[in-house]
Amino acid sequence: MENAIIVTDLYKSYGELKALNGVSFAIEKGSIFGLLGPNGAGKSTTIKILTGLIQPTSGHVSVLGHDVSSQPLQVKARIGVCPEASNIYEEMTARDNLIFSAELYGVPKADRIKRADELLEEFRLADRTKDVVVGFSRGMKRRLTIACALVHRPDLLFLDEPTTGLDIQSARQLRDEVRRLNGEGVTVLLTTHYLEEADQLCDSIAMINRGKVVTIDTPENLKACVTGEHVVEVSFDAPMKEGEFASIGCVVEAHRLGDKFRLTYSGRDPVGDLVDFARERGVGIVSLNTLRPSLEDAFLKLTGLNPEEAVKDKEPQKPRRNDG
Amino acid sequence: MRDQLEKSLSIAWKDIRVYYLKAPNFTYGLLMPVALYLAFSVAGNLSPATLISGLVSLVVLFGATSIEAVAVVSERMSGTFERLLVAPVSLRWILFGKALAGSAFGPVTAVLALVPVLLVSGASVANPLMILVAIAVSSFAFACLGILASAYSKWIPEAQMYSNFLRFPMAFLGGAFIPVSSMPPILQTLSRLLPLTYSIEALNVGMASSVPTLTFAVDIVVLAIFSVACLLFSERTLRRKIG
Repeated sequence: MENAIIVTDLYKSYGELKALNGVSFAIEKGSIFGLLGPNGAGKSTTIKILTGLIQPTSGHVSVLGHDVSSQPLQVKARIGVCPEASNIYEEMTARDNLIFSAELYGVPKADRIKRADELLEEFRLADRTKDVVVGFSRGMKRRLTIACALVHRPDLLFLDEPTTGLDIQSARQLRDEVRRLNGEGVTVLLTTHYLEEADQLCDSIAMINRGKVVTIDTPENLKACVTGEHVVEVSFDAPMKEGEFASIGCVVEAHRLGDKFRLTYSGRDPVGDLVDFARERGVGIVSLNTLRPSLEDAFLKLTGLNPEEAVKDKEPQKPRRNDG
Repeated sequence: MRDQLEKSLSIAWKDIRVYYLKAPNFTYGLLMPVALYLAFSVAGNLSPATLISGLVSLVVLFGATSIEAVAVVSERMSGTFERLLVAPVSLRWILFGKALAGSAFGPVTAVLALVPVLLVSGASVANPLMILVAIAVSSFAFACLGILASAYSKWIPEAQMYSNFLRFPMAFLGGAFIPVSSMPPILQTLSRLLPLTYSIEALNVGMASSVPTLTFAVDIVVLAIFSVACLLFSERTLRRKIG
């Protein structure tokens, strides 16, 4: 399989600070590749180098067969970049933003308006074509930013935190768009704080921490590396305290998560004990789920971060649910 | 080259729509120079033609630099500059496009100021084409100066401070209202370092002479060199800041 991106031994220093410390990876053409890591891990620096925005201190980057350092314009002509913050001109209309992008990327004059209208339709903005962007919702601005990145039909799309700050429905629609684009052959490099999003979208994931790639694998293989930990989530129809679970012998740890408790256990399955536990207290069990190791568990294990650091470094995680 | 120029023109047209076609910008570009002109025309004893050269140069200076000084820094702050940087157009051509937008604004404000003043003062223009050339080249030079101020700044007030730091001393040392020849020798030498001096001198020639002179040619060349130098310094500064 041909590679869309080959990164070899990439270093980037800002004075004493080493932002990247020997990063290497390759991304197959036509795949969705996730770059995960806490804030300051080196994700944004990597993307900035890959998109020709900044120069590496050393190392080599080939994007779509071109050396980014020596042929930046050739690379830029074939990639689409959607940064974390929307970068559209709010004083311009949605359509003018797209036409301006088309001009920047050399889309033939005769096709610009047609392509802009196509994208406005695809991204459900057709009814706001002539409105200035300043009045748009965050989700609409995000969709328009991605549409601008696609105006020249790039072979490779960089998406930096595409769903951050979006409501659930907008985020779901955006993930559907990413899948659709990938289905059309666009290679996608995605960074996200939402590990479940990476789990749902990515063919393979690189975990990066302190400027180094910790591991690269498929989401399922990454999850499989977390063994020996068993977790159940249980909720009751009456208030309970974490300390009460100490009476169940196999429960090692109990954490309250909203209206439920996450129990880590070792040895035998605690389900029977939990039923007895509830009966003794005269409360009912509302829900009881056995959980497999998640990508988040793999992330914490592989990056060596503890959950508190991860919470500090990341934005709040959405509830685990399958919205795909 | 042609491809890059086309993209540069797109950036210029975008900047004109986003930043320049707004009434407050025209007001600011005109207000300060006209106020200065009125003050000096009442108190001073300069000929109408000399005062008009000074006024037009100041209008071009304030018009071309007022937005340009913040255009790059505000785009960097909002993230839209990154959108330009990841597009297949080089930083040099991005800055050239921005300078073109600023330099298109200067002549518009200059004409808005020039026409009524000519009508009121009764002064005549010896060579309108030379006046237009001087305005166009001056506008580009001052727009490049605005970009340089913007390139060195992290945020908008800093850019405004730099541009005012450059503009106000220039207004008094460039010969807009006090002839350079009547200044002390050290100030005359200093004034030769300022682009406004060459702009006013070129306009003075256009007001008085029907044919281009060597002075006019030198003024235009100096302004062109000044423009290129500003753009190259801006490019180098921004490249270093971006990383």
